[in-house]
Amino acid sequence: MSDAERPTDDHVPGAKDDEFEPIQVFPEAEEMDLRPGADNCYKCSTCDTNCPVAAVDDEFPGPKFQGPEQWRLKRQDDHDIDDSVMKCSNCMRCDSACPSEVPLSQMHNTARAEYVEENMSKLSREYWRNRMLANYRRLAPLAATFPRTANFVTGLSITKWLGEKVMGITSEREFPEFATETFREWWTKRGGAQVESDEKRIAYFHGCYANYNTPEVAKALVRVYEHFGYEVMVPEQSCSGTPMFANGMLDDARRAAETNVEELAAALEDGADIIASCSSCSMSIRQEYPELFDFEHTEDVAANTWDAVEYLRVHEDLEGELEGTSLDGQSFAYHAPCHSRNQGLDGQTIDVLSAIDGIDAHDVGDSCSGISGTYGWKAENYETSMKIGEEMFEHMEDAPAETGLTECPTCSMQMGHGTGYEITHTLEVLEAALLGTELGTAGSGTGDGDADAVDGGRREAK
Amino acid sequence: MAIEDDVLVIGGGLAGSMAALAAADAIDDARVRLVTYKQSTLRHASGLIDVLGYTPDGEGPLVDPFDALADLPDGHPYERVGSEAVREGLAFFDEIAGDAYAGAHTDANALVPTHGGTVKPTARYPASTAAGLASDDRDALLVGFKTLPDFEAPLAAEHLAAAGAPFSARGVTISFPGIVRDDAKVTRYAHLLDQDESVATSAGETGAREALARTVGAHLEGEPRVGFPAVLGDEHAAEVRAALSAALGADVFEIPMGPPSLPGVRLEDLLYAALEDAGVRVTSGVPVVEYEAGDTAGADPADEAVAADGGSDADRIDHVVVDRHGAEIPHRAEQYILATGGLVGKGVRSERERVFEPIFDCHVPHAADRYDWFVDDAFGEQPYARFGLEPDRELRPLDADGDPEFANLRAAGAVLGGYDFAAEKSGAGVSIATGYVAGRRAAEEAGAGR
Amino acid sequence: MANDTEVLVLGGGSTGCGIARDLAMRGLEVTLVERGNLTDGTTGRMHGLLHSGGRYAVSDQASATECIEENEILRDIAGHCVELTGGLFVQRPEDSDDYFREKLEGCRDCGIPARVLSGREAREVEPYLANDVKRAIEVPDGAVDPFRLCVANALDAENHGARIETHAEVVDLLRDGDDIYGVEVRHESGPGNRTHKAAGTTEEITADYVVNATGAWAGQIGAMADLEVEVRPSKGVMTIMNVRQVDTVINRCRPKGDADIIVPHETTAILGTTDEEVSDPDDYPEEGWEVDQMIDTLTELVPILEEARTIRSFWGVRPLYEPPGTGTQDPTDITRDFFLLDHADRDGVSGMSSIVGGKFTTYRAMAEEISDHVCEKLGVRASCATADEPLPGSERIETLEAGMDDFGLRSPVARRSKQRLGSRASEVLDTDEANPVVCQCEGVTRAEVCDAIDQSGSDLNAVRIRTRASMGNCQGGFCCQNMANELHPAYDEETVRAALDELYQERWKGERHALWGEQLSQAMLNYALHATTMNRDRDPANEDEGDGLEYDNFDGGRPTAETRADGGARLRGETGGEDSSRGRGDR
Repeated sequence: MSDAERPTDDHVPGAKDDEFEPIQVFPEAEEMDLRPGADNCYKCSTCDTNCPVAAVDDEFPGPKFQGPEQWRLKRQDDHDIDDSVMKCSNCMRCDSACPSEVPLSQMHNTARAEYVEENMSKLSREYWRNRMLANYRRLAPLAATFPRTANFVTGLSITKWLGEKVMGITSEREFPEFATETFREWWTKRGGAQVESDEKRIAYFHGCYANYNTPEVAKALVRVYEHFGYEVMVPEQSCSGTPMFANGMLDDARRAAETNVEELAAALEDGADIIASCSSCSMSIRQEYPELFDFEHTEDVAANTWDAVEYLRVHEDLEGELEGTSLDGQSFAYHAPCHSRNQGLDGQTIDVLSAIDGIDAHDVGDSCSGISGTYGWKAENYETSMKIGEEMFEHMEDAPAETGLTECPTCSMQMGHGTGYEITHTLEVLEAALLGTELGTAGSGTGDGDADAVDGGRREAK
Repeated sequence: MAIEDDVLVIGGGLAGSMAALAAADAIDDARVRLVTYKQSTLRHASGLIDVLGYTPDGEGPLVDPFDALADLPDGHPYERVGSEAVREGLAFFDEIAGDAYAGAHTDANALVPTHGGTVKPTARYPASTAAGLASDDRDALLVGFKTLPDFEAPLAAEHLAAAGAPFSARGVTISFPGIVRDDAKVTRYAHLLDQDESVATSAGETGAREALARTVGAHLEGEPRVGFPAVLGDEHAAEVRAALSAALGADVFEIPMGPPSLPGVRLEDLLYAALEDAGVRVTSGVPVVEYEAGDTAGADPADEAVAADGGSDADRIDHVVVDRHGAEIPHRAEQYILATGGLVGKGVRSERERVFEPIFDCHVPHAADRYDWFVDDAFGEQPYARFGLEPDRELRPLDADGDPEFANLRAAGAVLGGYDFAAEKSGAGVSIATGYVAGRRAAEEAGAGR
Repeated sequence: MANDTEVLVLGGGSTGCGIARDLAMRGLEVTLVERGNLTDGTTGRMHGLLHSGGRYAVSDQASATECIEENEILRDIAGHCVELTGGLFVQRPEDSDDYFREKLEGCRDCGIPARVLSGREAREVEPYLANDVKRAIEVPDGAVDPFRLCVANALDAENHGARIETHAEVVDLLRDGDDIYGVEVRHESGPGNRTHKAAGTTEEITADYVVNATGAWAGQIGAMADLEVEVRPSKGVMTIMNVRQVDTVINRCRPKGDADIIVPHETTAILGTTDEEVSDPDDYPEEGWEVDQMIDTLTELVPILEEARTIRSFWGVRPLYEPPGTGTQDPTDITRDFFLLDHADRDGVSGMSSIVGGKFTTYRAMAEEISDHVCEKLGVRASCATADEPLPGSERIETLEAGMDDFGLRSPVARRSKQRLGSRASEVLDTDEANPVVCQCEGVTRAEVCDAIDQSGSDLNAVRIRTRASMGNCQGGFCCQNMANELHPAYDEETVRAALDELYQERWKGERHALWGEQLSQAMLNYALHATTMNRDRDPANEDEGDGLEYDNFDGGRPTAETRADGGARLRGETGGEDSSRGRGDR
């Protein structure tokens, strides 16, 4: 038998049969028994060295404790999850750190859901604040209907003060601005897809932020994909669930995920692959859905979801197409979001942009931005969030660039908040290079360069 | 379409990094990619660069590791690459590490105190350990922290005396100013010092560095050097040490610790910065799950030349498949290097009935009965510690018949077998030497094929 | 001549410690000697099942009845050692319906509460049961920690004035004609708590009466005085899984057979067992196929076991006994009942009785019967109180369960610590000192380790059985060293080193039987940590010629005399470049 015919091993890391499959008699993920996941842990603490929260706050005992240790010490009837689980920011860096395939973030998500269910008062301010932050998408349509009013109101100091005092939302941050025209409104007005193709078709999962706040990113995606001859579909969709997982609101996440899986599975039926422009959205659909839910087609949807740039690299000669394009004098301080890192995409942006003449992109290192979605919005986490971000801010300032670049909306807010830089999205850069449009900035959260807020934030962190 | 490179390195630990760096160094504009799944075992390791501390027969500690290389048994990775390559590899590492490592001024091993209290021989040591050598005869104060149960300084001091260290050591245990929880992670200690965070002390708020120096200073009795467990900063480690040193009026050093190891983290950071500088493309967080073999050397005359040169008609790997959360991405290269680690790094895996290499299913020699995988003394000659691939002198893994598994696959580091790095204290040295050789040869061969 | 003690108990297992406690509570002067640690024999090598009696409900109803009675007593007096897990007798499709019915009826006959669950209901209780299990009988089986239970008995005996000597091996029975009047023991390191490296001594201990409670070793003790005790040691293997796949005791509902039980034990699950006669309780083969059989057979009940991580295996030796002339071939058919052999009646040699047979769950009842016998021999009139008086740690157990104080510990660590310490929790854990976790797998803090050291001296295996430190998935790889650190400064460095080596080797011994997959990787990591990082395998301090190591020949780190003069400046100069490396940062 030649080597070519020899069966390759079926125990490769991450292969299906390596995973334990709990029997699905439980209806709720928060009751999932993940103790067998502790079997893979050999206590090396590599996960702990990657935890941005444990490095700045010793109240958080790190992912090893939160994950395999806490689970292993647990018995079926124990429900007293340690409250420190709420300090986890759900950056999921521990997942890609673990040399031994412990399902860390799944353990954290499940424990957090159990904590919220069993230990957090449903009448508490914390619960309702978290629920509100987690369900940003439910509030966003309202704001988007009256974006100018909303932007005015959220910018008022009285609103911020009330936010902090009443809801525990930090007043240090600027609320993101709402676009005057959402992406979906633009899409409808535009008349939908302008390229039709039976061969090349994608379903775009834009998520909440690109729809309500940074439609330029979504538009860039459409134009870039149409440039490559793809028919773009924009299916109905709900929030990806990322903020809900992070807040232990698994029921809310389940409802959202069910809608998404159903809609995206239908798109797969139509011959489309699923593309996301937000790294947390793609992370959620690819990893968290199959770990936490078992709707029909969940696995299919997960396996056919791609990051927008990754897809083009694999299915098109993206770098070839970019050869010869140029964007003169553009330098970027690039931050790879933790959720990109988790998908093995952290090197991708620098790789791809190096094909464009005149671009100078600097990776600002592998630290976490510290905001982690809704985490850094909570008054009690603000300081921790800025401490975590310190390393990234330092590196951004050291890098010879005045514009930030990333693929995650909340990282983008934090980058802008910490440095006052304009922040743009990789798709916007590709659009500018391929289509010759002017390079925009998707919004930094402090798009107008609110220097006071920036400095205030930095001082707080020191 | 496949992602294309000249040399593809699988595995991002010391061996994989060295292989990628050596490949990038060997040929101008070589496209070198390093694919790494989870984080490497560098974070488990002390950060010391051992070359050879003891012979396979247990003779040692060796004063000169290079002296002993010539006598290593057939099949030992050092024997495979030859002693000259060991020196070249180490010199290449020295160049990359620059000031961050010391020990290159001599062929002699240094004796370094371990957190277990004894000493061990090593060839290179981080700058943070330079002032702490046990083969340096200055007296030392060792400092432990009440909340770090891994290191008991007074006990370590007594142990050093029992090991015959040529200086007097004294240990004290103190509370680390600014640490509020007993289970704070070592990264928390490091971060406090890195950022010189403000901490409350009995004398009011001060920077963490000053607070620590003041607490330790009270115990100092004129010792010219002070040793701490390895938690003295991460990003700004040298600055932290300098500040403590200035405040204490004594040299400050770190005692290497077990996992999680900050010196290991710093070494990893250093290597990844070098990879970026060298233009190596790094894809991390994703596993290589399978491979596709191509035709044996066919129409391409260059390929034939290689095959003839290698004296084998082994298959070639056409491409490997990387799994990104279910999306299977082909990666194609001329040459491949397997540096996925040993049993700990999971480059070698086992089941009740067998030991195997999971990506290419390369031959791993082992006894059929798992009760022959070990001996009864925990520190005896453990067969399992020698599990790994058997390479030829080109570092190509061999099959059970002694022929190369593939014409264009080399292996480096702990995935290789035939040596017990733990007993010999040779782990880092083997990774560096084999990584260096595999990387260079792969790049040269890929270059010839272009 | 007055004897050293009234009663001398040989053997520090559950029976011996139970007898010592019982007699001490009755006001007798008691000394107990044990050759190793408490529980070193069979007690520490069992699966930890607290029988409901269900297992014997068909074959041996007398034992079954006794089990359920003692089961209920132990729940009261040893709450901190017992976990009320409940148990299931699970029937697979291929298992006999008749036997299932007999089992159910047997339980009812013996007063064992029993309820039938459908396959689906059984899987709701235990989700990892196989899809096709047919049905199950639910019984009040439980799990018990034999180490804690045994130690608590010894502790209480000491509280009542008994002397407990571990590491004191009986080397001779003192016999004067037809009377046995004591023993000669060899102390491994002098009487009292063990101190490693302390010189050994021998001691003669005389007694009014000697109780041979050495179980499987009873024959060897008897032989020292030319008495024949026909104990038939029978080995059984047990395999420890890294996590609890089940929280209920799972029994296979079929007549008899190997590998038919899974007991959730603390953080682990224990698979058992086999039954095979051996000639020497200290020397018998331990083989891989026995471990394989546990996993492969029990996988039929709980499929996830096939791929689950095993952390070690161990063998225990049952002290089976049958009266001369019974002639049973298969050890599984030998009765589990116990026998009190009064050597005066049997052999005409006074002063000693031997106890053989029996089972852990009924240790207290056995101890009571033997103590009655001893009292009768000594003419003492005192009644047994062991069924009513809680063991140390189990007083006011209900108030403890309700207690909210976590002693500043993370909640699962606090929960497990309080469970282990029972009502001693606040005495041990309430401290102003830093109290970091020493063993992370099992959540054992410094305060608990130090408490155990106070009890047992420099013997870290004794600390281990009291606290569970080093019994988790790393099998001591990460915590042996930390445990040893806690011995200092009460014990000197050489003692600490010896204690650490002994614990490490003991951990390795059991781990050898789990050397594949995750645990082999763990073993390699442990080996690398101890040999590479710490150089414990070639520690110059252990070499006789340690002083001969020429440090001068090695790199002293100071290349020139000039830099020698100013250490601080040199250090800063040397490391100037280091800060610029910042990960995957600048190009």
